[in-house]
Amino acid sequence: MRTREGRGRLSSGGPILVARAVLRERWWALLALGVVFGLVGGLVPAAGAVAERTATAYTRLVEAVHLDDARTIVPADVPEVVAEVPTMPGAAAAWTPEAWIVQLDGSPVRFSSLIAGTPPGDLVAPVLVAGRAPDPAAPDEVVVSERSAETGVSLGAVLPVTMLTLDNVADFAVGFTAAGPRTTLRVVGVARMPSWGNALPDVVGGPGFAAAHAGTGIGHAVYVRFDDTPDAAARFTEAFTAAVARHPSVVSDYLAPALETPRTTPDQAVVAAERALLVGIGLFALVVGLGAVQVLGLGLLRTGAAARPARSVEAALGMTLGQSLGARALAAFPAAVVAGVLAAGVVIAAGTLEPLGSQARFEPAPGFRPQWALAAVGGPALTATFVLVAVLTAALTWRTSAAEEPGPAPRRSLVRRWPALLLGSRLAGAGGRRGLPPAVTVLAATAAVAGIVATVTVGASLDRLVEEPRRWAGGADAVLVDAREPDVARLVDDPRVQSLALSETSYAREPDGGLLGIAAQTVRKGTPPVELVSGRLPAAPDEIAVNPRLAAQHQLAVGDVLPLVAPDGTPRAMTVVGAVVVAREDYGELGQDLLATPDGLAAVAVPRALPLLTAHVFAVPGAGAGLAAELAAELELSPTATPDAVRNLADLTRLPGILTLVLVVVAGTGMVHSLLVGARRLAREMAVFTVLGATPGQVRTTLAVLAVATAVPAVLLGVPLGVGVARLFWWEVATAVGVGGDIAVPVGALALVVAAVPLGAVLVTTIPALRLRRLPATASLGAW
Amino acid sequence: MSVRDPALVVRGLRKTYEAGTAPVRALRGVDLTVRAGEFVALMGPSGCGKSTLLHLLAGLDRPDEGTIALDGTRIEDLAPQRLARLRRRSVGLVFQFFHLIEHMSALENVALAALVAGARPQEATARARDLLDQLGLLDKARELPAALSGGQRQRVAIARALANRPTLLLADEPTGALDSDGAAEVLDLFRRLHALGQTILMVTHSREVADGAQRLVRMRDGRILLDGEVTSGSIEVPAELRAASGPWARP
Ligand SMILES: Nc1ncnc2c1ncn2[C@@H]1O[C@H](COP(=O)(O)OP(=O)(O)OP(=O)(O)O)[C@@H](O)[C@H]1O
Ligand SMILES: [Mg+2]
Repeated sequence: MRTREGRGRLSSGGPILVARAVLRERWWALLALGVVFGLVGGLVPAAGAVAERTATAYTRLVEAVHLDDARTIVPADVPEVVAEVPTMPGAAAAWTPEAWIVQLDGSPVRFSSLIAGTPPGDLVAPVLVAGRAPDPAAPDEVVVSERSAETGVSLGAVLPVTMLTLDNVADFAVGFTAAGPRTTLRVVGVARMPSWGNALPDVVGGPGFAAAHAGTGIGHAVYVRFDDTPDAAARFTEAFTAAVARHPSVVSDYLAPALETPRTTPDQAVVAAERALLVGIGLFALVVGLGAVQVLGLGLLRTGAAARPARSVEAALGMTLGQSLGARALAAFPAAVVAGVLAAGVVIAAGTLEPLGSQARFEPAPGFRPQWALAAVGGPALTATFVLVAVLTAALTWRTSAAEEPGPAPRRSLVRRWPALLLGSRLAGAGGRRGLPPAVTVLAATAAVAGIVATVTVGASLDRLVEEPRRWAGGADAVLVDAREPDVARLVDDPRVQSLALSETSYAREPDGGLLGIAAQTVRKGTPPVELVSGRLPAAPDEIAVNPRLAAQHQLAVGDVLPLVAPDGTPRAMTVVGAVVVAREDYGELGQDLLATPDGLAAVAVPRALPLLTAHVFAVPGAGAGLAAELAAELELSPTATPDAVRNLADLTRLPGILTLVLVVVAGTGMVHSLLVGARRLAREMAVFTVLGATPGQVRTTLAVLAVATAVPAVLLGVPLGVGVARLFWWEVATAVGVGGDIAVPVGALALVVAAVPLGAVLVTTIPALRLRRLPATASLGAW
Repeated sequence: MSVRDPALVVRGLRKTYEAGTAPVRALRGVDLTVRAGEFVALMGPSGCGKSTLLHLLAGLDRPDEGTIALDGTRIEDLAPQRLARLRRRSVGLVFQFFHLIEHMSALENVALAALVAGARPQEATARARDLLDQLGLLDKARELPAALSGGQRQRVAIARALANRPTLLLADEPTGALDSDGAAEVLDLFRRLHALGQTILMVTHSREVADGAQRLVRMRDGRILLDGEVTSGSIEVPAELRAASGPWARP
């Protein structure tokens, strides 16, 4: 009937002709799908862009500020050590600006340390985020850390101060009057660093300050860049330790030049917050991506289903399945390109977003930071996905329509009391001839429910951590830095005091030389300021409780033995009896590593010349503020600030809410869409049901049964799954921070999910039910 | 109900569809009486309103004017709920394209109708089994529709339409999608049902199939054109109808 030539021409030109025909008929629907898929799907690479900016903020800042490899402060009475540093093995470069400690006038207990000098440019160069750098000629201009700026020493502040001498420092514990020169600090800028710390003070002066006050400091800060050799750190540490040992100082107790290594010590608080963020963004991208593909798939499925007869015509005309699919790919291409361009635009637009949560505090270059590469990859990827989904849905429709073969017969002919239930359950359990297989819909709904439950649960756990200081052993109304017995005895007798415990802290050495912070507590009244996570508190000298972070790092469980080495070198095996969070005074990392009995501490800890006792005072409800104010007037109190780790996490407390909202909207839209499409696909069955004499109510019930058949398994599977995921995730975050990893189960919110998902699904089906009711049943039966 | 009561009385039925540009007057005043136990074939050119008439009779759509009495009950003004109940009690429908529920076995398709009609589960299953047995399909009871031939599917559909013991069985081109063997099977079945006293109104395009009926009604342009007994190929118009206001009487 057809010549070889004719057949050949049709075969090669056919796909283009068919594509044109499909486009003519469907261009509007395809374009709409392209726009929706581009905007929604574009959120996935955009989330990638935000994730990248968030995840790299810290490392980019480390590079931008030329973070030092090692730092310390060397007292002024041992200048030989400072002089040796640049030539020590392992050191490639060093900067040794002079360091001061100043007392803020008008406050007996407010001190600040300060460095000043000419920065070399490639070593320790804090990024300015507000104001300007100190004028090299000005003798009083300084920049301060963001942390200082937030807590009072802000941009524009003018602070009269008195400098401390080295002798003042030596007398720190016994009291002194600041004996150094008086001067004024003028804050002209706010600077950003990945880590401020003991050896990098929150106040940094310029060359003008250094020149004006040369020789009056308490010593020198030392910042070192290691050379490229692999053992540079070890060789430098050895040389430095030896030098310090050769040159004893009068202030060894307070200014023991311990080396800090800001690059190698990952900030656990940063790590935990970053992990929480990235998982959140990943979850967001996953859900949005699945939602976008689902909407696209269902949309294209309608197109493909509409083109079902067309394929039989094409087949009759000699087009292969591949050519027919190629035609669909061609037809989808323009819309796919629209989707890709829009997605690239979304990625570029995401460049206006700062890193999320606390990581914004590490962004070295705030402002617009477009990710051209991600846009260049993400756009085409979405275009390709669009075309792929178009081809897949067409193939799916055609394959399933061609295979009108008998499926497996239902195992039992179980006839139930309610016809709507019988029909609904049969339609719900049936294979995917008319759309997505039910298993896919149930799985998608399960994933959505699990995501929502996990997010809500993690959010509740986060809120609880931030709101209940007890969980990180905080919440004391007053913390006396140097508690003396008369004061303690007086407080114990004070009826306003509910609990009072004295803490002693030091370091314990591990066999490999590592140091662990160790604390011991003596309860003088009430209960100890300890959060018991598991097990019990130590009761014997050879018993010890560990912080959850340390327990996770060392894989320690109750009953295990932790080997320590006493200062005299004798090994001491400590039995782990519990996991606890014990307050730490420097508000960086959360919790001392170890808690021992006072005897246990004496046996293993590095002895300190002047053991300082810290008193944690908890007042009876309502008396806290008054008591704290009273004590602050006469004693040195540690600021009751929230630890950095908790602060970082507190920055994230709004994130789970936002994520939940996004999840609800995206998953909800997807679910509503698939329920509506599903109901539309079943219009014929519902019409038949009506013909058999089903009332509108029965039709509605059938659709409700269908919805419930998706929603109930999704809830039954999704809630436990979500709680499980939250448990794992929260354990990770909490142990990284150093607190107990048990989740707060938001029973109310979960009950709401359990009730709302099936109820919402049933409510959604009223829409198609109303539509069916308006239309005469015969409209859906087509040709009789 | 006595044998002499008409199963169906239709008077002055009009239906106009407001579709697209011009309204389509599908029915322009139909009068029809079907006595209990009659087997009526309804013929007429495509688009003359046969299916529309059946829709209205089954209460699936509403007439613009006129009355329909089914089993003595006027249905044109009933609420959807009441219509549905009437349908499940009194009407059975058979379609050209079967319209079986594809995810349910043959037995379940039939039992579903019995259930809707109010049978208890055991009764429904028993009745479905019984009907399939009578229609020679018991061995296919557990098959899904996709596993059946066209004729077998139509027989399942007929069993389903009979599951509620309808007063009136409406069939719209039940043999239209079948080959001649299948058509013969279905027609034979209808004749057997008729012999058992079932009232049947069947639309068909096939003169052969129509010949199997007892009475033939012809429609054209939304009106009844001719009505008479089927007597081996010719139509004998009953005297009462000849006298009545048939459309041909007033051109
Ligand atoms: N839902 C509807 N909307 C608009 N017009 C309709 C509708 N249903 C039927 N019609 C029109 O009403 C007229 C009668 O249609 P009907 O289906 O009753 O014809 P029929 O006699 O059954 O034809 P056939 O033998 O082809 O099945 C036709 O012109 C048809 O186009
Ligand atoms: Mg018709």
